[in-house]
Amino acid sequence: MRISSNTIFDSNVAALNQQQTRLLQTQQQIASGRRLLTASDDPVAATRALEINQADATNAQYASNRDSARNTLTTAESTLQAVTSLIQDAHDAAMAAGGSLTSSGRKIIATDLTARLQELVGLANSTDGLGNYLFAGFQSRTKPFVDTAAGVDFLGDDGQHLVQVAANRQMATTDSGADIFMRIKNGNGTFATQATATNTGTGVISQGTVTNPALLTGNNYSIAFTSATTYNVTNTTIPVVVSVGNPYVSGQAISFDGMQIDIKGAPANGDTFTIAPSTNESLFTTISDLIDALNAPAVGANLANSASRGLNNLNNALNNVVNTRATLGLRLNELDALQVAGENMGLQFKQTLSKLQDTDYNKAISDLTQQNMSLQAAQKSFVKVTDISLFNYI
Amino acid sequence: MADLFTSALSGMNAAQLGVATTQHNIANASTPGFTRQQILVSSRAGQQTGAGFVGQGVDVTGVIRIYDQFLNTQVLQEQNQASYLTAYHSAIAQVDLLIADPDAGAAPAMQSFFDAMNAVATSPTSTTARAALLSSAQIAIDRFQAIDQSLTDMADGLTGQITGSVNTVNSYAQQIAVLNGSIKRAIASGQGQQPNDLIDQRDQAISQLNQEVKTTVLRQADGTASVFIGNGQALVLDEQAMRLQVVQSANDPSKVDIAYLNNGRTIVLQQSSLQGGKMGAYLTFRDQTLEPARNALGRVALGMAVSINQQNQLGQEPPPTGALGGNLFNEAVPRVDQNANNNPASGKPSVTIANLAGLTTSDYRLTFNGAGYTLLRLSDNTTTSYASLPQTVDGMTITAPAPVTAGDSFLIRPTANGARDIALVTNDPNKIAAAAPIRTATVVNTGTGTISSGTVNAPPPTNANLQETVSITFNNPPTTFNVSGAGTGNPINVPYTSGQNITYNGWTVQITGTRAVNDQFTIESNVGGTDGRNALLLAGLQTQTLMANGTASLQGVYGQLVGEVAVKTNELAVTSLAQDNMVAQTVAAQQAVSGVNLDEEAANLIRYQNAYQAAAKAMQIAQAMFDAVLAINP
Repeated sequence: MRISSNTIFDSNVAALNQQQTRLLQTQQQIASGRRLLTASDDPVAATRALEINQADATNAQYASNRDSARNTLTTAESTLQAVTSLIQDAHDAAMAAGGSLTSSGRKIIATDLTARLQELVGLANSTDGLGNYLFAGFQSRTKPFVDTAAGVDFLGDDGQHLVQVAANRQMATTDSGADIFMRIKNGNGTFATQATATNTGTGVISQGTVTNPALLTGNNYSIAFTSATTYNVTNTTIPVVVSVGNPYVSGQAISFDGMQIDIKGAPANGDTFTIAPSTNESLFTTISDLIDALNAPAVGANLANSASRGLNNLNNALNNVVNTRATLGLRLNELDALQVAGENMGLQFKQTLSKLQDTDYNKAISDLTQQNMSLQAAQKSFVKVTDISLFNYI
Repeated sequence: MADLFTSALSGMNAAQLGVATTQHNIANASTPGFTRQQILVSSRAGQQTGAGFVGQGVDVTGVIRIYDQFLNTQVLQEQNQASYLTAYHSAIAQVDLLIADPDAGAAPAMQSFFDAMNAVATSPTSTTARAALLSSAQIAIDRFQAIDQSLTDMADGLTGQITGSVNTVNSYAQQIAVLNGSIKRAIASGQGQQPNDLIDQRDQAISQLNQEVKTTVLRQADGTASVFIGNGQALVLDEQAMRLQVVQSANDPSKVDIAYLNNGRTIVLQQSSLQGGKMGAYLTFRDQTLEPARNALGRVALGMAVSINQQNQLGQEPPPTGALGGNLFNEAVPRVDQNANNNPASGKPSVTIANLAGLTTSDYRLTFNGAGYTLLRLSDNTTTSYASLPQTVDGMTITAPAPVTAGDSFLIRPTANGARDIALVTNDPNKIAAAAPIRTATVVNTGTGTISSGTVNAPPPTNANLQETVSITFNNPPTTFNVSGAGTGNPINVPYTSGQNITYNGWTVQITGTRAVNDQFTIESNVGGTDGRNALLLAGLQTQTLMANGTASLQGVYGQLVGEVAVKTNELAVTSLAQDNMVAQTVAAQQAVSGVNLDEEAANLIRYQNAYQAAAKAMQIAQAMFDAVLAINP
């Protein structure tokens, strides 16, 4: 075949160009650490890398959301821990009040409880450190618990603040203050008993139990003593007399309409006890009622009845708070589990991303050496080929 | 005796011409387009003698180009394709770099925007988080606009390149026409001898022309070449060159078309007829890569603006205003251009975005034929006919122009300005409606039923009675409820099963759990609410498949754009490299025939030198013989 002298130059220049381009590409991959210098180097990997970058960034955002959620939940948890021990202290005080104490002894307890009540209001108005009230629902900038003349009032709402803690999980980071502090059923949860304040005897009524839920009516009742040993039971809602002239024995069960209660002590003629369906009573009311009872002069069994009622309601409140703390603990546990899963996922994203777009240095440096060698070979052979000419000999 | 001198002289002459031609070849060894030349020699007819025919020497009958028409045509074709692919590749590579850069592309900016939104959802009362959101929104906007501006700059630059290409074509056409004249006259005066170097020059001009635009060349008997472009439009005929011209497009005033000037008439050439070469590459790149890329980018930006605006309108701003949310972004308006040939009195159709999911990245041409409208989707040439407007198609609502004349046509570009016109309409961090405008509450109930926190029904505008207090009270038995509140119509005895949607006044709630008689639930204005429920929904827009008929998220459609450009760039990189090799091979084959080999020329030099020396020696011998005769003393 005939070769044109120009072709020797042209094809060698083209080959050198191509080799230099490849060499530069490899060198850039090594210098930048990126295998994909432009999307067109590997369109599939590049678009995949875009998606994974997005997923990775979202995952990182969820991790920061989790930190924020953990912060709020931990603050709520430690606040409720303080509330728990406060209720336990109040409980101890109520126990002591039920015993035989002097008027001044009761006053000391009352003063102490008054301070604890203020502390409780403070705890219920806790913030998350950023000025958001923990128990105000959606109105996190409104102070939720306000001390008014009529007792502590709740100004928040039932909203639960949700945080996106994982791709498919929104977690409530706050709990309704109304549920924790305000909506606590008094009595035994179904009905509540009460001794009338004007009683003169020493009868103390128990909180009672439900013996047959099917028979419950949800009506109000009164137990009126017609003598020290007999009493009548009246359904005051309808009204209708349930039973008349029942014999009274201290501590013996009194049963009607699916309910069972007992009265201990010696009620006097004319003493009455009432039974009403349970209503919501706030923890603040429970404590302030207790304070009122402690401050009032001890007449008959009033203090014992109030202490018994207060103890019961404090127990209810304690259960309520403990339940909330249990759900907080569950959520914190879940956050930990999600954190581990999120970190694993982030690691996986980083690995995939690295495989997709990072330079494999072993391969790149080996390529560079090889390309360098073949470029040198091409240059040397180019010089040799172009050096020979017949003109050298004529 | 005299014939000895003549014969020797003819040999010397032939060798001299041979050396001259060889020297011409050596001198032009690297001249572009040069074809090596050779002398044609033939022996003179012998003189008849008694002893037979005695040779009388040699004649040079001509100087010819060593040339293969087939190989040359092949080189032209391959070079045309190579210049098309190279020009297209170097143009699209800029777009590829621009939109897929991991730092400068729009994807990371959109990601930070949604991350910031998530942070607001987590801490809706944090002014810092809100300010960070606005700043990341501005960064995303800047990124969209910067990319759009770069694409627009490229389009403007292309207009210049197209003009340059047209000027080059005109200049080569003129050269070819002039050379045609010179060649025709040289052949006539040279009694059929070819003016080799002029023909080389013309072939070189045709080759250069062919790198600008695909041509067809017909060689005429008189030695001239006729050059045709497009669908057979003559560019050069004999000594006459026609002109191409850049004209403003009648359809789209922002674009140029290429027109053919013929006897004072201007004929706009269809883009499809200008394939190949740099001109074809520029037009294809502009119409099939740049504009769709700009539309696709616009669709992403428009999608973000519209979806965020709509969701923000369903939320509530933080106290003290506590107002319902408004727009955060400016939404681009679809661009509508009238055809330059429309009746000047005709109006323009108004086009609005109806839904994001239906939007495509295509442009549309709406034409009115006097009786009805035809809408042509330019990306796939699908036509739809309508007897009347308005109509909603592909996510846009088109309202009839008024007045309108038969034959009017309009170019509709729904998303073209999406990225250019996106902007923040507020700098107030409190305009981010992170809270939901309603909340629900359980009044003192005896049952354990709970009510969901409630959602506001899309799309905006919200119901006028949205924030009115509404109570839902269960009856005896608690399988039905009564509703009271402004706007609800106070229906009674509405049957209910647990978890079912309850929708009034533009909100939806669900009640689950056991309801008891007289249990009451309320839905009311979220006065003073600082929650992040709506921000959560805003952040959730990131992963929702809002676009492309509900198949892709915002970032998904951006990824599609990156992918499409990357695939095309990659394809062009591979094919243009392959085409370059193809050109190298065909040029090598053509050069194998027509190129100068210096060693061969060196050998020829020696050959002709030897021939000359031998002929001169023969002349010397003839002289000696003549002298010998003269020396005889009679």
